[in-house]
Amino acid sequence: MTVDHERIDELLAGYVLLSLSGDEAAEADRILVDHVPSCATCRATLSEFQAVSGDLALAAPPVDPPETLLPRLHHAMDEVPLAGRTPRRGALIAVAASAVALVAMGGLSLVLGSRLSNAETRTGTALEILSAMRSPGASPVNVTPQDQTPPDSGIVEVSAPDIRTLYLAAEFCPEPAPGHGYQLWLGSDGQWTPVDKMFWPEDGVLLVEVEGVDVARYDEIWITEEAVGQPPTRPSTDGPSWFGSLT
Amino acid sequence: MDEDDRHDLELHRLVSARERPAFDELYRRYGRSAYGVALRVTSQDLIAQEVVQDAFLALWRAPEAFDPARGAFRSFFLSLVHHRAVDAVRREERLRRRTERAANLEPATGEDPAEDVVEDAYLRVRRKEVRAALATLPPAQQQVLEMAYFEGKTQVRIAEELGIPIGTVKTRTLAAMRKLREALREEWES
Repeated sequence: MTVDHERIDELLAGYVLLSLSGDEAAEADRILVDHVPSCATCRATLSEFQAVSGDLALAAPPVDPPETLLPRLHHAMDEVPLAGRTPRRGALIAVAASAVALVAMGGLSLVLGSRLSNAETRTGTALEILSAMRSPGASPVNVTPQDQTPPDSGIVEVSAPDIRTLYLAAEFCPEPAPGHGYQLWLGSDGQWTPVDKMFWPEDGVLLVEVEGVDVARYDEIWITEEAVGQPPTRPSTDGPSWFGSLT
Repeated sequence: MDEDDRHDLELHRLVSARERPAFDELYRRYGRSAYGVALRVTSQDLIAQEVVQDAFLALWRAPEAFDPARGAFRSFFLSLVHHRAVDAVRREERLRRRTERAANLEPATGEDPAEDVVEDAYLRVRRKEVRAALATLPPAQQQVLEMAYFEGKTQVRIAEELGIPIGTVKTRTLAAMRKLREALREEWES
């Protein structure tokens, strides 16, 4: 099959600028998994475009952050759980009311917690999940722990046909092993596609938003623990994992 | 790789070993640039602060996410900040659309960003080079790059707003990225 590198370069340029959407974003994801790792030219292009994207940030004027930011950061660093530590339930419950939502739907309930350190961002995601659950055709899916994965760490997937966005939420998600993160996979006819970037829980709470996903194209969802640094090409079966049916 | 890149690598190695002074040094080096781009993209003080805090926390939490074989720490980290800023501004926009009300956040202060902010000399030099490279782009290419990078708009939306075919947006974007790559490549290699 002939490879259209001009087309791939267009996608890579849009990809590093985060300006792709819909089918093109999905096409870029596929190329990043299926072609780029084995093509030295595309690897170099991606690396150089990423460097350009990073340096473009310098075109913005530098601004002194508020003096309170570094102390807040130190405080938040003290709260970052060590890998493998069991999430503290108390830490989740003792959250400002504005950052907590209790959802009950179809016998399913979940607490969406957030730490004050980034409450607004996470509250925004929580509110979006609530909004998504009210969308026509929305159907929360239980993504259940597999094998040795802690049984109380169930994840809920929420999506709806008209929003092309997928959300993941969990209350007691364990920290991945050092140097690892969690990867979302969507499957169809036994073929698994890694979707979006890796993610990590915060104090056991997982709130993830993935844009531009046409969930209707898939029939299964799998979340696995993967090593950071190399884009995974197939789901790992070594660490914690969660699995659910979308049909 | 120049001396400043090597210094970043050493600081990153120390952060991986949970050395807080190294973390603070990286904050001192990149906090202003990070906050500057976050503020430019989000136009919201509080959101920009959250973006910067989340990016530095991500670095502390998973320093392994940076692979020195893939480029400079500076590019990696500022890309991380930019990604989070774009994610935040898009989330805010969707919330506004859905709730049909303004976001419950303080507006930007409106202060002019301080160009005389004290920062490392090498960053000042690099900043000058990036701006010079941007200035060489034709206005039409600068425009799509600005809308994508600093306004967080998708190519589809850029095409809609400018009233041009999306293919033109793609062509201009790719041409701009290639020109910037060529202009900045000499600096990377030096």
